Amino acid sequence: MTDTSEQLYGRRVPLAQAPAKLTGQTAVVQVGRRWRCQRCHQLAGETDRLPQNVPYCRHCLNLGRLTALTKLYTIPEPNRFRMVTDSPLTWSGQLSPRQAAAAEQVLARLKTRTSQLLWAVTGAGKTEIVYPGLAWALQQGWRVAWTSPRVDVCLELAPRLAAAFTGIPQAVLYGGQPVPYAYRQLTICTTHQLLRFDQAFDLIIVDEVDAFPLATSPLLQGALRRAQKKTGCHLYLTATPGEDLQRQIKRRRLAVTYLPLRYHGYLLPPLTVKIAWHWPDRLATGRLPRGLVRQLRAYRRRVQRFLLFVPHVADIAPVLRALARLGMTHGVGVHAADPQRTAKVQQMRDGAVDFLVTTTILERGVTFPNVMVAILGGDDPVFSTAALVQIAGRVGRHRDFPRGDVVSYCQSQTRTVRRAQRMIRQLNRRGRRLGGQA
Amino acid sequence: MRACLWCGRPIVVPVTLADIWHWGPLPTPIICRACRQRLQPIGSAKCPQCGRQQATVQRCHDCERWDDAFVNHAIFPYDAALKAYMQQYKFQGDYQLRLVMQPLIREALAREHYDVLVPIPITAATWRTRGFNQVTGWLTGQPFQQVLTVSAASKPRDQSSKTRQERLQTPQPFSLVAGAATVLAGKRVLLLDDVYTTGRTLRHAAAQISLGGAQAVTGLTLAR
Repeated sequence: MTDTSEQLYGRRVPLAQAPAKLTGQTAVVQVGRRWRCQRCHQLAGETDRLPQNVPYCRHCLNLGRLTALTKLYTIPEPNRFRMVTDSPLTWSGQLSPRQAAAAEQVLARLKTRTSQLLWAVTGAGKTEIVYPGLAWALQQGWRVAWTSPRVDVCLELAPRLAAAFTGIPQAVLYGGQPVPYAYRQLTICTTHQLLRFDQAFDLIIVDEVDAFPLATSPLLQGALRRAQKKTGCHLYLTATPGEDLQRQIKRRRLAVTYLPLRYHGYLLPPLTVKIAWHWPDRLATGRLPRGLVRQLRAYRRRVQRFLLFVPHVADIAPVLRALARLGMTHGVGVHAADPQRTAKVQQMRDGAVDFLVTTTILERGVTFPNVMVAILGGDDPVFSTAALVQIAGRVGRHRDFPRGDVVSYCQSQTRTVRRAQRMIRQLNRRGRRLGGQA
Repeated sequence: MRACLWCGRPIVVPVTLADIWHWGPLPTPIICRACRQRLQPIGSAKCPQCGRQQATVQRCHDCERWDDAFVNHAIFPYDAALKAYMQQYKFQGDYQLRLVMQPLIREALAREHYDVLVPIPITAATWRTRGFNQVTGWLTGQPFQQVLTVSAASKPRDQSSKTRQERLQTPQPFSLVAGAATVLAGKRVLLLDDVYTTGRTLRHAAAQISLGGAQAVTGLTLAR
């Protein structure tokens, strides 16, 4: 087989030159009076036409335009990999007994090709728990994808997996990647990239399955479904499954492995709610809620570092000004479009600043050893239930500082806030049964 | 609720009492307010010859180097927003995005004085891959004459992938179609193109149009 056919194993891609003895599928086909893209399976808009009335798909335009004249080529996945006889796992770390038990359960379900969810609290060591199962899957000659809706998760993960599975060649795919696609047994990619695959993977691991935009995008959920082989299975990883996944668990449609304790064996800090009436009006006059001021003053006396979450980027500057009036000047504001974002986060890690005022961008994926958290306006719609639980998970991540406060200042108790409190309570109840400490 | 044609976010149209009073269909913008604000037209401070946005109204450095009389007008500076637009419209081939610029091109054409409108053509190879001419896509019924053709052999590479030096050394890619002289003779011709970068393409086209017997040739581009 030539090199080009390898490029098509389990893929669904357009080619500049049609290969011999391979018939392509039309990329945008007519369904009734509408047209449907065969890559993203979305309906093209009525007016999405090229001059000669040729329909094209705007939904997956970023992956290269498909029109009714384009052909998609695919070769069924042959799993043509070098046989791995020994365990490919070269990771030398140790799983804690609780992690090992969870890993064992994950592996057992993989062996029966059962789709499952690993629900582990933030800071439980999800990635490492999957290693034994992944090693087994690779040994079976399975083609595996490790995907996440967030590109930064993929980029952070790739070197870790490369170190843990040194013998397994991996492909890393994301929008604007510098290296071209290669046929590899282990693919690490963003969920968007799965649109280019067709029944390729025996196992798809979805990291941060609740993260934006996967949770709300039928396009990406369809991509997950179609990239998986008919005989394949998936493994979802999350700390905060959404309503839909929780419903599937309740109805026993989805096997679940819980890990309600963090790696150091302590419970999650509970989310405290305090009512702060009209805090936006007070903030407009340069004042913060009294309770928050008292809390932050206490931190300052103890030289305790903290994160203050606000709903919108526009709130950061007034909050910083209000804090400066209280004499708290050793902090900075960080938001998504901040050019110095990584530098400021690093300053916080190094202890160069005492606090960060930030938006939901720091809700997941960042670890500071010893911080407390306050949320101003936790009832704002930008803070979803998952976001609040993730924010609570920023506290107590270090073995030496396993406890802390998470206080949300709200104008009213909303459903999302109560759901977040309930999710933390439920996880902690399970954790206590396993001997977790508050 | 409508989604913005460009960024896909929902468009929120505030309904005022006046709108209700007028008792007609509500104005339905095709792009959202944020996208509209990204597009900032060139103001009055610009180069009088090529239309480039600058602090003064003197002839710009590039035009000094050309040292000729070809005049171009441009609507937008070729900034980050316009680059993003051209990337999606022209290079990704999102033909629907033509609707974003159609009203702006219509207004700009109304301000120009010309007899014959000549859009810059694309090669046959580009027609096959892109499927549309990005310049004529912006036209909404304005009459135009496709008197120029471009030979594929003369464009082995995209202009946009070259350096300034390479672009300036591009040989003449255009030729006139048969019978162009009858259309052009004694007429004021306006050339329409997407982006004016070095001015090379437009000047090549203008030279051919002049050979066809046009009285005057000027240019209009979306971006400079």
